[in-house]
Amino acid sequence: MHRAVYKVGLQYLAGDITGGNARCIAMLQAFSEAIRDYTTPAEKTLTRDLTAKIGSYVSFLIECRPLSISMGNAIRFLKNRIAKLPLTLSESEAKTSLCLDIDRFINEKIILADRVIVRHASTKIRDGDVLLTYGSSCVVEMLLSHALELGKKFHVVIVDSRPKLEGQSLLRRLVANGLNCTYTHLNAVSYIMHEVTRVFLGASSILSNGTVYSRVGTAAVAMVANAFSVPVLICCEAYKFHERVQLDSICFNELGDPQAVAKVSGRGDVNYLGSLGNKDNLQLLNLMYDATPSEYISMIVTDYGMIPPTSVPVIVREYCRDQLWI
Amino acid sequence: MWRRSASFILDKRNDTGARPDFVSLSPPQTTASTMADTLQNPNAKVSAYYQTRAAHHGVVTSDWLAQAQAAVGKYSPESDVRSSSSAAADPGSGKPFSVIDEFNNWRKQPDLAEAVAAIRALAAVIRSSEATTMMELEIELKKASDSLKSWDTTSISLTAGCDLFMRYVTRTSALEYEDFNSAKSRLIERAEKFGEISYKARRIIAMLSQDFIFDGCTILVHGFSRVVLEVLKTAAQNKKLFRVLCTEGRPDRTGLRLSNELAKLDVPVKLLIDSAVAYSMDEIDMVFVGADGVVESGGIINMMGTYQIALVAHSMNKPVYVAAESYKFARLYPLDQKDMAPALRPIDFGVPIPSKVEVETSARDYTPPQYLTLLFTDLGVLTPSVVSDELIQLYL
Repeated sequence: MHRAVYKVGLQYLAGDITGGNARCIAMLQAFSEAIRDYTTPAEKTLTRDLTAKIGSYVSFLIECRPLSISMGNAIRFLKNRIAKLPLTLSESEAKTSLCLDIDRFINEKIILADRVIVRHASTKIRDGDVLLTYGSSCVVEMLLSHALELGKKFHVVIVDSRPKLEGQSLLRRLVANGLNCTYTHLNAVSYIMHEVTRVFLGASSILSNGTVYSRVGTAAVAMVANAFSVPVLICCEAYKFHERVQLDSICFNELGDPQAVAKVSGRGDVNYLGSLGNKDNLQLLNLMYDATPSEYISMIVTDYGMIPPTSVPVIVREYCRDQLWI
Repeated sequence: MWRRSASFILDKRNDTGARPDFVSLSPPQTTASTMADTLQNPNAKVSAYYQTRAAHHGVVTSDWLAQAQAAVGKYSPESDVRSSSSAAADPGSGKPFSVIDEFNNWRKQPDLAEAVAAIRALAAVIRSSEATTMMELEIELKKASDSLKSWDTTSISLTAGCDLFMRYVTRTSALEYEDFNSAKSRLIERAEKFGEISYKARRIIAMLSQDFIFDGCTILVHGFSRVVLEVLKTAAQNKKLFRVLCTEGRPDRTGLRLSNELAKLDVPVKLLIDSAVAYSMDEIDMVFVGADGVVESGGIINMMGTYQIALVAHSMNKPVYVAAESYKFARLYPLDQKDMAPALRPIDFGVPIPSKVEVETSARDYTPPQYLTLLFTDLGVLTPSVVSDELIQLYL
């Protein structure tokens, strides 16, 4: 195991690196470092041995925390690149070529894509808007700060939920930026929704039937917004698109720590379910993601522009074919 | 200058003898206050697109014009349109060749869509260009298309037509291998082909939509759309038996023109006021509308009132068909009604409106895709979600 991969894995485990893009970038950078230090063992070819090596790194990362769909896409891209390396390349040339590919992927598919998304989405913010966001999405945060830089006058409602309370860090940064914010919990979303004009949400992945796979609670926010006919905009990079179809949240999901729903962090005394702790007929369920059906979504903002959720398969077909990406 | 209708001129002159028989559709008692209202409403910011539409499709038909001209003698609305357009073309007239002038020349043909006029004008830019390199030519073309687009920002089809022309004409790999002259002639060839495709689009749509018009059906149409008229005309020529309900199409009353055209074809027509749509919806089999622009979501931007008709039709489970040429596909994505560049036009209410009262003067609305059944385009019969598919393939 390479130390960079080991470090990233432990950071995932400890929850130091969270968020789809951050996790993906950290993983790719660790792989890039591992590739730089890699030497092909005697009597083996780089293509086969390195693929196996990456495979073992990936299974280690899965041990630490299940992969997100975006990371799966990035790994498939890297493996594809390794498999397609021309045999004529020397080892060092192959390694530089792979590292360059990884850098390009990070730059074009994540960093530049975010900038394009922010530029597109900011055209949909008008003066006097009340924007609602749920949890903490780095693209939405970039969008809000960009809109503020453009001098738009708007108000932000941050909706948050237990147990992760990810919105708090976002709230802190936005308030420090001088934005007008309202902070509330998911329970109050139907109360606050009638004064909201736009809902901006991030996504962990978008599936080809237009279903948005995102932090648990997103579906509830989107549904309430739909009921109040508030447009829901999803900001998501195209590398997170996946050709799979999913109809509910259970068939593919990630389980969080079940104790997190029962306990309040930092308050050992608040544990109302403590007495029920080990009952066989009690199951504590802490899902990490949920699936938002496409009919609740007005628009998906990606690096290819603003598209309706029905066009996700077009993007997958045209650009995500064979995981060629770049 | 904005003018309402020929009946206004006629009534001003009190020349009842030359009044065409369908003037009775507009109540004569309103026209006196109409005059006051026209004077009251100086056109502060009027959409040029809708002004042209009104001039071409409004109740001012050519036969009416002839009669009106005979009645008034000196006053010709045709010259009025011309003077307003040449005034708008002024900034470009200093140059020997101006794309705007060319565009306005084409635009005068009432049967030619604005986007097709723009496409023809851009083709003329290539032809008359004195550029010696491909790069120069492309920059020249880009400038011309930008000036066309900025000439009237409220017209969606104009912008979309220019963009599509640039895509279609300049995106050909053959250009890289040839010398400049043959590349230029290739561009001209492609430009003319595109112009031809756009021009024929209306016929193709009319042919495609015939399968959907069955004997004994009742069709509701809104406003005046040349494509819809072509569709209905073809259906009548094919000896289909159908009935048409026309909305009045306030404020420029374009529905009256359509009913007039249909009556000439011996199609049974019934006129409705715009607010009678829900009342008549149960006897309707399908709704047929045109579009000013088709947006990325698959929804349409069309004359004010289309959205409410689509809503009523949707709630009564009637299909809503849209006839639109593919050069109207625009890379726009409105989220709601106010999320568009405003296109305003004056509205005459028949009585003077106190200055304290606000008037909604927007000329168009946005119909979201979930209320549309099918779009008839020259690319085929599409569901709304395919529009974005086509746009992605065209632009990316």
